[in-house]
Amino acid sequence: MNAAAQAPVNADRAADGVPTLTYRNVVKRFDSLTVLNGVSMEVRHKEVVCLIGPSGSGKSTLLRCTNGLELIDEGEVVFDGKPLPRDWNGMRRMRRRMGMVFQNFELFPHKTALGNIAIGPMSVLGTSRERAETHARALLEKVGLADKSASYPFQLSGGQQQRVAIARALAMEPEVMLFDEPTSALDPETIGEVLNVMKQLAEEGMTMVVVTHEMSFAHRVADWIVVMDRGAIIEQGPPRQIFQAPTVERTRSFLSHLGWSG
Amino acid sequence: MNFDWSVVWRNADALLEGVELTVLLAITTMAISIPGGIVFALMRLSNVRVLSAASAAFVELFRNLPLILVVYTAYYVMPVATGLNLSPLTTGIVALSLNVSAYNGETFRAGIASIREGQTEAAYALGMGRWQTMKEIVLPQAIRRVLPVLASTWVSLFKDTSLVSVISVGELAYTSMRIRAQTFRVLEMLTAMAAIYWLLGYPQAKLVDWINRRYGVKE
Repeated sequence: MNAAAQAPVNADRAADGVPTLTYRNVVKRFDSLTVLNGVSMEVRHKEVVCLIGPSGSGKSTLLRCTNGLELIDEGEVVFDGKPLPRDWNGMRRMRRRMGMVFQNFELFPHKTALGNIAIGPMSVLGTSRERAETHARALLEKVGLADKSASYPFQLSGGQQQRVAIARALAMEPEVMLFDEPTSALDPETIGEVLNVMKQLAEEGMTMVVVTHEMSFAHRVADWIVVMDRGAIIEQGPPRQIFQAPTVERTRSFLSHLGWSG
Repeated sequence: MNFDWSVVWRNADALLEGVELTVLLAITTMAISIPGGIVFALMRLSNVRVLSAASAAFVELFRNLPLILVVYTAYYVMPVATGLNLSPLTTGIVALSLNVSAYNGETFRAGIASIREGQTEAAYALGMGRWQTMKEIVLPQAIRRVLPVLASTWVSLFKDTSLVSVISVGELAYTSMRIRAQTFRVLEMLTAMAAIYWLLGYPQAKLVDWINRRYGVKE
């Protein structure tokens, strides 16, 4: 492991930063393929961390290991001071405290926008329909879709669907939001509306982990950038450093392939 | 050739009773076989080997036996084997339900399998458990998706109820055949039977099309 992959201690990060998520030597294998090969990093309270890197570098897997959609093989993930359970049922209880937004939205097609947002609190927390729907309306308003509460997913554009999906995750009042390439399946003209909602969330102090290829978003919104390649972290630091003065050759070549020129 | 269509009108009451019993058989069988099919599908997809194997064995047995054989076996063998003494009508419902539940089991299994993994993951990510996810997210979509298949199963079932006439259940086919035997008006009774089955079946098929348009899930 090179020096850049060590647990971060950096003056650029918020001095009062309490860790929300700490990854220690996380290893994940699919059969003989090692997808995460000893990943260590930290996500601090109210911080936006962007995971960038080429396809297949393990970014999405790291995110999915965070909320237990994949179970890790070695190492540990500490969430809010306690190591995450390693079994399915234990992770189930942790998932309600983390929101997740998927690349393909994965809204429930048989429910309206309102129904999609209310179903989590109703079925998982036992919230009454009335309270869940009142909260859902407020969340739709927050993501700018107050007039779409009765619409079904197929009646919404991609950007609108993803904003509903963000509201659905927020309905559980999560302590951290996980975004898995939230704009990769969107038409270019609707990417902005989703990124704006995410930016607004970041400004409100939501702790966020974002897997993204949107370098301008990462540059403007992230507090910390983690660059991954082949299942390992090759470099991490504040956006200024990563985008303007990357120290690792592979980071430079990755950014140049994206046409990023600072 | 002389036709005497009055035989149909003279026996209208008996035929109507036959129709009522046919409808009762079909509705009761479907009412049992939809939950039955869902149970067999969930058993088949479960991680518990015994449940999965039991469901597979049931489905493969009853899907691959001629229905008329199941009807006869239920009538002649079931009372001896189980000590249950059921009326011909109940026996007929049991036989039909075994067959249709097996078909519905496969239908629902295919429907559940067609719902993509991401839907399940989205539900898990909210903190739902496996059963909640199945009940709230997967099954409602799967059922809507297999509506056309359930509809054609229903239309088949409606006609297949005629097979329980072999154990003297007085439904439409049995009643028609009885009148034919008593009056020797073969062509008239076969024509009447065909007309009644078709007139009952066609609107059902149309109704099902409408249900499918109205409740099918769009993505």
